[in-house]
Amino acid sequence: VFVNDKPFEFSGNIIELLKELNLNPETTAVLVNNKIVPKAEFERTIVGDDDYVETISFVGGG
Amino acid sequence: MKKDIKQFQIGEVKLSSRLFVGTGKLPNYELIEEMYKEANVQVFTVAVRRIGPNTKHTQSVLEYIPKEAVIMVNTSGAKDHKEAIRIAEIGRELTKSDWVKIEIETDSKYLFPDNNGTILAAQVLVKEGFKVFPYIYPDLIVAKKLEEIGASAVMPLASPIGTNKGIGCEVLLKPIINEISIPVIIDAGIGRPSHAAKAMEMGADAVLINTAIATANQPVSMAKAFAKAVEAGRLAYEIGLLEEKEFASASSPLDDLIRGV
Repeated sequence: VFVNDKPFEFSGNIIELLKELNLNPETTAVLVNNKIVPKAEFERTIVGDDDYVETISFVGGG
Repeated sequence: MKKDIKQFQIGEVKLSSRLFVGTGKLPNYELIEEMYKEANVQVFTVAVRRIGPNTKHTQSVLEYIPKEAVIMVNTSGAKDHKEAIRIAEIGRELTKSDWVKIEIETDSKYLFPDNNGTILAAQVLVKEGFKVFPYIYPDLIVAKKLEEIGASAVMPLASPIGTNKGIGCEVLLKPIINEISIPVIIDAGIGRPSHAAKAMEMGADAVLINTAIATANQPVSMAKAFAKAVEAGRLAYEIGLLEEKEFASASSPLDDLIRGV
């Protein structure tokens, strides 16, 4: 898959991906191929191959 | 004219503080809870960004915001209304908060907001059930339009973001405060507590401060200073400020003066 523009060796569901990336599924939003994946569908959403993943959260901002 | 409410209310949310704080540029996120506890800040803005691998961000600010506080998601980084809408939707996916500060900037030197794009984004987001807080260039006609659309408040700028210049466009802000009935939150450019007090004396419903607090030597103490100024300015506004006079008017009695002096 691609994670935030760079290739990343992975195949599995979103929960597993976030675990591997050390990101908290409670505070991370995930876009797969530019579409928001609802939290409830993290487990059954499988990514691999050329899927384009973005991991998103809140950071400090004004 | 402006409503006279001691307790500030936006939609269903009751607030006892009129000081909103932006969390950008903070040296650490632990300060957020301290500001909540010590300066009674109840509304915090946050930005939506990539986090994790190949990014600069490793921590989500979400974990540091007290559960009782209100999160206002900004759409900073959006160059047009479509991007702003998308950021708002992603933001709402992350939290239950539907408060969104629409922020669309196409000019990187002054970071002035794009009022036209902001109106377009507000039209869509209000329909999608968001509580919309548009960051605008101070323009009464635009503010009226946003009120018509159903915005929860308007957030006109005082001066360009991060400049600490204070209320740079009083003559444009005053008509907005006087003429529209949704809350007016003065945002951007406020650098000192006295600027915040002035905004409140003018009748603003709240102020949003980021740079002046986050980049202060002691952000929590500065937040407290701002909280006091906001409260003082609001109280004075509610009491009613006196008019300026051209000539002196003695404070001490002018009769019964002592002869022998």
